[in-house]
Amino acid sequence: MSTLLEIENYSGGFRSETGELTPILHHVSFGLQSGAITAVVGETGSGKSLVALSILGIQPSSFVRRSGRILFRGVDLLGLDERAMRRIRGAEISMVFQDARAALNPVFTVGRQLADVYQLQHGGGRSAAMKQAIEALRRVSIPEPERRARQYPHEFSGGMAQRAMIAMAALICEPSLLILDEPTTGLDVTIQSDIMELIVGLCRQRGLTTCLITHDLGVVAETCDAVVVMNAGRIVETASAEAIFTRPRDPYTQRLLSASQLVEAPA
Amino acid sequence: MTDGGMMEAGAILRVRDLRKNFAVGGGHHLVAVDGVSLDVAAGETLALVGESGSGKSTVARCIVRLIEPSGGDVAIDGQSILPLEPRRLAGVYRRIQMVFQDPNASLNPRMSVRQVLDEPLRLHLDLPRAARTERLHELVEMVGLTAAHLDRYPHELSGGQRQRVGIARAIAVSPDIVILDEPTSSLDVSVRGQILDLLLDLQQRLGLAYLFISHDLQVVQHVADRVAVMYLGGIVETGPTRSIFGAPRHPYTRALLSAAPVAQWGVTRTRLRLSGEITSPIDPPDACRLVGRCPLAQPACATAKPALIDIGGDHAVACPVVTERIPTC
Repeated sequence: MSTLLEIENYSGGFRSETGELTPILHHVSFGLQSGAITAVVGETGSGKSLVALSILGIQPSSFVRRSGRILFRGVDLLGLDERAMRRIRGAEISMVFQDARAALNPVFTVGRQLADVYQLQHGGGRSAAMKQAIEALRRVSIPEPERRARQYPHEFSGGMAQRAMIAMAALICEPSLLILDEPTTGLDVTIQSDIMELIVGLCRQRGLTTCLITHDLGVVAETCDAVVVMNAGRIVETASAEAIFTRPRDPYTQRLLSASQLVEAPA
Repeated sequence: MTDGGMMEAGAILRVRDLRKNFAVGGGHHLVAVDGVSLDVAAGETLALVGESGSGKSTVARCIVRLIEPSGGDVAIDGQSILPLEPRRLAGVYRRIQMVFQDPNASLNPRMSVRQVLDEPLRLHLDLPRAARTERLHELVEMVGLTAAHLDRYPHELSGGQRQRVGIARAIAVSPDIVILDEPTSSLDVSVRGQILDLLLDLQQRLGLAYLFISHDLQVVQHVADRVAVMYLGGIVETGPTRSIFGAPRHPYTRALLSAAPVAQWGVTRTRLRLSGEITSPIDPPDACRLVGRCPLAQPACATAKPALIDIGGDHAVACPVVTERIPTC
């Protein structure tokens, strides 16, 4: 298997108003294998979301890189200018955020937003784009997609809005790499399970390379091929999902796993 | 009646037929709590589980009258509290206290830990200043903090420490029962375990009863003696934790348990799937609330709201289909 994305020795921190630099990421290195679902796991403040945002070049402006490269098909994304980056976003790499209703624009219908992105990526007319939008909503199992496409984000439940976002990121954009940042956090457990099945189904069926940012090891055990464990801005362990759950080597991974299972950590 | 086996004489908290409707305009009503009955005995933990919109937090808030129930009865140690005037509730709050989900929102940012913890002592206990100071030191130590934390403000504490302060505030007046509304939901898993250990330790030492409200089934299995499962305002199944997790009967309970992912390798789940999403609680018909989503639904399910039926072993289920009152055709 080849590597689609490779993060090498990525370090940096936040610059305060007084010019002081607080280091956040320390020599982060990992790769995403083509066609695989890789989880980046960590607790609050581990830096996992910051790494994901950095891939798309949408990290907060106060973040200063000290070292490292992010190679996508061999090209360093950190060296690209804004114009070149815009050609990558959506078309090559797309992202699903935690709160779908906040990620959608409240003043446009859901159908219009999907259609706009379709037109941006693939060209063509308005009505053809709307047809694609409705078809995408249908394929993520949104009932009555024609009616739903005419509704606004506030008329969608959290689970339905997340389906629409997945339709946009995975089906309308047709990227090679899909990044999902806590896509089911805040959703009820029954809805969460349905959304993860949808994500895994789409990724497997389309051979999509997927990076799942999460704090939930339960979700990881059932869906992922490889796992990257982060703690306090450092990668502490990288392994296959089976190895992480059956033979975790790093003490932090072991503690995280025990805490997730609510059992005593091995001494 | 609906509560067969779970009626207990020594209940610290007894809730009967609790109702809460919200007017939503146009003469419509949102039925948030629809006839909930439950008992919590001294020293035990009853978990109230359900997904968002099930009404579990509304039940908690009605019990302590943060919102006024529309009907039913709530009794603390045999005394009905719903007829009491608000100014007479202070005596009730010495017996029952609450810990909230988000310690950032439930602690006043302008009050130090000392002020936060001193307030209930001043309001409820007639103690001289020296005794109050002694009690403050005792409280912070009980929740795993130190005297140095007393002069800190909430923003100077971590999320886990803030929740420890919330717990210390609740136990300050030595209540009999504490309502815990999603006490670990905003915490990372490593902190979650520490807070659960603290709660179990305090329960042992102080003989506290807990009404533990949670959507996290793993946590519930870890801490609860008994479980009540809520769906759209009503309890659909209740029983000892071991029976609910080991032999769930209600289709909703089975769907909920089979949807929860397990952080272990090679675990396969056989899911019982509900179709669609949670239905509207506005002007609900007299029918089983699950009828539109349930794979086991029968025609009779749409004509009457099922009551809890005792199936033995302190286990009750509000589904005539699985308790075999209705033959499956």
